[in-house]
Amino acid sequence: MENDKNSQKIVDYIRNFSRKHSLFVLAYGTGCGAIEIPATMTSRYDAERFGIRGAATPRQADVLLITGYLSTKTLKRVIRVYEQMQEPKYVIGFGSCTINGGMYYDSYNTINGLDQYLPVDVYINGCMPRPEAVISGFVKLQELILAGKANNGEKYRENLEHYRTNQKKIIKNWKMPDYNW
Amino acid sequence: MEDLGLKIFGAILTTIMGFTVGMTYGGIVRKLTARVQNRFGPPFYQNFLDLLKLQSKKTNVAHGFMGHMAPVWIIIAAVTVLMFIPILNGNLWFPNMSFHGDLIFLLYMMVFGSLGMALGAGQTGNPNSAIGVTRGLSQMVGYEIPFVLALVALMIQYETTSIQELTKIQHETGVWNAFANPFAFLAALFASLGMFRYSPFDIVGAPAELASGPVSEFGGKYLGTMMSGGAIFAFIKLTLYVHLFFGGAGNADDSGILATLAGIGILLVKTFLLYMIPVFYGWINPRYRTEQAIRYFWGWPTALGVIGVLWAVYIN
Amino acid sequence: MNIFFTIISLLFSGALLVFLINKVLPKISGVVAFITIAVVSALFFTQVTVGESYHYMVGEIQMQFGVTYYTYIFAIIVLGLSTLASLYSIQYMQGKQRLGFFYSNYLLTVAGMIGIIFSQDFISFFIFWEIMTWSSYLLVIYNGYNSSKIGMKYMIFSAIGAYAMLAAIVSIKANYDTYIITEAMQNGAFSFSDHIYIPIMLLIGFAVKAALMPLHVWAPNAYSKSPMSFTAIFSGAMSKMGILGMGLVLASAYSYSNSESGNAILALRYTLGWLGGITAVMATIYALIQTDAKKLLAYSSVAQLGYIIVGLSTGTKLGVMAALFLAIVHGVFKGALFMVVGAVEKQAGTTDMTKISGLIRKMPWTFFVALVSIIALAGVPPLGGFVGKWMLYEALITESNNYFLVIVIFFSSTAAFLYSYRFLYGLFLGQEETDTAHVKEAPITMLIPMVILALILIVTGAYPGILFEPIAHGMHYLGFNDVNWDMSILVNVWGEESNMGYINMTIGVVFVVIFTFLTLKGYKGTKEVGTKDISTGGEVPAENENLSYQLDYFKPFERAAAPLYKRSMNKIWSDLGNAMEALFDFTRKIYTGNGQTYAIFVIIFLVILLLLKDTLFAN
Repeated sequence: MENDKNSQKIVDYIRNFSRKHSLFVLAYGTGCGAIEIPATMTSRYDAERFGIRGAATPRQADVLLITGYLSTKTLKRVIRVYEQMQEPKYVIGFGSCTINGGMYYDSYNTINGLDQYLPVDVYINGCMPRPEAVISGFVKLQELILAGKANNGEKYRENLEHYRTNQKKIIKNWKMPDYNW
Repeated sequence: MEDLGLKIFGAILTTIMGFTVGMTYGGIVRKLTARVQNRFGPPFYQNFLDLLKLQSKKTNVAHGFMGHMAPVWIIIAAVTVLMFIPILNGNLWFPNMSFHGDLIFLLYMMVFGSLGMALGAGQTGNPNSAIGVTRGLSQMVGYEIPFVLALVALMIQYETTSIQELTKIQHETGVWNAFANPFAFLAALFASLGMFRYSPFDIVGAPAELASGPVSEFGGKYLGTMMSGGAIFAFIKLTLYVHLFFGGAGNADDSGILATLAGIGILLVKTFLLYMIPVFYGWINPRYRTEQAIRYFWGWPTALGVIGVLWAVYIN
Repeated sequence: MNIFFTIISLLFSGALLVFLINKVLPKISGVVAFITIAVVSALFFTQVTVGESYHYMVGEIQMQFGVTYYTYIFAIIVLGLSTLASLYSIQYMQGKQRLGFFYSNYLLTVAGMIGIIFSQDFISFFIFWEIMTWSSYLLVIYNGYNSSKIGMKYMIFSAIGAYAMLAAIVSIKANYDTYIITEAMQNGAFSFSDHIYIPIMLLIGFAVKAALMPLHVWAPNAYSKSPMSFTAIFSGAMSKMGILGMGLVLASAYSYSNSESGNAILALRYTLGWLGGITAVMATIYALIQTDAKKLLAYSSVAQLGYIIVGLSTGTKLGVMAALFLAIVHGVFKGALFMVVGAVEKQAGTTDMTKISGLIRKMPWTFFVALVSIIALAGVPPLGGFVGKWMLYEALITESNNYFLVIVIFFSSTAAFLYSYRFLYGLFLGQEETDTAHVKEAPITMLIPMVILALILIVTGAYPGILFEPIAHGMHYLGFNDVNWDMSILVNVWGEESNMGYINMTIGVVFVVIFTFLTLKGYKGTKEVGTKDISTGGEVPAENENLSYQLDYFKPFERAAAPLYKRSMNKIWSDLGNAMEALFDFTRKIYTGNGQTYAIFVIIFLVILLLLKDTLFAN
């Protein structure tokens, strides 16, 4: 029905507007890129005017920031944290290491591209990206949310097999429970 | 029947007003905090956006039946207390059920919500939640003592336990209770620092120390409901203080639209100015440990409360 | 054969019968005990009319039996709780030894309490008081834990109280020439007008049973070490016998005394009120730090009795009504809580909160009863405990001049939230451990009494008038006239009211609305997870990893209130005991065992007699 579609469009618009302007970032610094986050959150570059604030536990968080290189040890915990978050959830890859391995592309211990293990919404390149770059990454994420294109939580759920095989290849002592859903 | 319809309408209006004002105050405080810290901060309607986002989460995780009930109990406590406080003095639309309950009932009902949240947080099984709850309850034992001393001083001085009577007496004598019994007011003011959980008494929900304490396992619609319950509670406590110590708001003789709006305006101004006191104090203070906080409340604030009770008994 | 004789003899013969049956067929001894008490309750509530009495002459002493309106209140508590507790006890005591001993003493205790309720003269009162005391002593040492220490303490304090009471009874006979309680009360026998030592001795006797400081030191261990189905009536009903006695003494002091004793009565009010307040505070803060659920409840019983005594000490209508109402409600929720702890002990094996936790999913009905009882204990609306607390605070603020007592009581009441939460968290919430995986719900005959008690609490919250009616009649007997009461509305003397009907309606409506909203919103996307799926920093907790927080639970509060914890009544009593022992050791030296010293003692005695013969045998 024309009316249903219009009202559905308005409801979706309000939902996406509120999701875009209130992003809770999990306070988890996975790698060396985490040094740029306090600078982004505090007075000079002030991420709070976009509605971005820190959250203490995965249950309260929307956005997972993978800041820099990811060792396999940390990858196991990051997967657990990602699966404990509630949908809709977004992943932002920070720094060159998440794109193609960066400086540690030939290391035995780190991963070479985040996209095989977790679905990523936005990449921010740089080594480290400055706070202005971080904020522009968040603004890109906000545009994606408003357009309704940031549904990677569902994508993870539907392609769970694919992601699991990739994860189990690289993590040797896999002792995690099945996915929550 | 028409009376009942008016009452229900007034009740719904009160709830909406409490909720909106509480959330807006939270947003304004965030903006002011940002300004004090030399940055811009979120817009003043940010709390509403947070609430909408939390309620529109597609999946929610609950840890059991008590975890599901915890936000319900907080809202029950908030709305019930709101029904029994006269928002505007003598107004036809807003007194709700304030004739049928008095101060002692309000004191106990405010605890009902904390108990609910504590039980829900307990069922999640996270030890951080349990630690947060015990710290919160211990702190409550701390600040309730000067608060009750102040209330008892007022009750003795004017020989009434009803809030409406106290407000009416302030109108008749023309002197606010903050000046008629200054020691009681100071004791209650110190207690309010603990009630609003700004620094230095915010160890209960410390994000980095305790993984945010009792709310650590709540997300989505549960967290949203708890946030709104907290906002209504802030409004309730502020209104209670204004009625007890600052003469309340609203004209007892006039119930027209204009007088009601003027009354609400005065109420908003008074509550906001009173809210600034714990917020100001919080901007400049670090956090107390729990035993430091409890000892703080049992020191000078309790002494001031005792002097307030003696003042009420002997000076009047 | 009048009805009182029938009831008492039924109970005594039931005790004997159970003892004999246990030797033949142990499995049904519990059922026999339950049937006895149930029959007695049915007889009492249908056949007994209040106000009639029967006389017996034994030698020259007239013994009188009857039920007054005042003792009817306590009969409700005693009989109701005993019936439910004996039903509970059938399954609880199954498989234990010496059941004949247990049940016969159980029935004797109930017989003692009923006898106290029936007796209207002091001699039978004292006889049944003693029967109650020694049968409960035998049950306290049933479990065999360190019986000499725990049982002895209880016996010594009860003996002190009983002898004080006997001295007062004999004094009353000597001064007022009557043993009948009503006559003595209305003649002002224990009313502080003259012979002040009489009411003080009586109060000491009753204060031991009602666990008033400083005579409360037997209570925590005795309540926690006896079997739980007995503690339900020990703490729920037997302590109220002390309240019964104190009510009689205080009524005489307030209503029937002459005007010259005003100062003594004022001193009584303040002393008793502050003793009750200090009991409440000290017992509460000791309850916070316990790790054993039984001992926590025992300390909490002592604290709640402190509230009741404070209410009695005010002496005003609202205060005494609050005290009697709290007495009934306390019997209900303490009985329910001790039954809950007994059920947990039977199913899980221990009540140490550091060893078990997280039983909510396995014992949901038990949790429901515990939740309702804890809400009533904490005094939170809309249940019955709030009604009593409201009346108590109003009485203290509006009618008595004892303002600082309000603060003390309020402090104790707020600290009661702490141990209430501790009890629920320690046993039911928190992490579920693997060693409690075998626990199942309690059997049905244990569940039914608990649920009945919980429902009583819910009903008296909305309609407290059900209990106000017998209390108002009882207060008329005590000398208070025009006690007004209403079915759902509580009023204080300044005219403010608290309408329980409106309160419960509001809570109910809001609950339904919000619960529906929260359940329906996002219904398909809500998932329930267990307690191991928590945010432990990304780690997955292993099966045997202990994540429960049960030890040093309120350490910050302990540190903050450290000066309060240093005072201990036990230490004072044991110091007194040691001093007495040193004195006795010294006087023992008279017995030298040597015949010549004994001869010298006789000669010295004769010399003293000869020297003082004029003053000693003056004519």
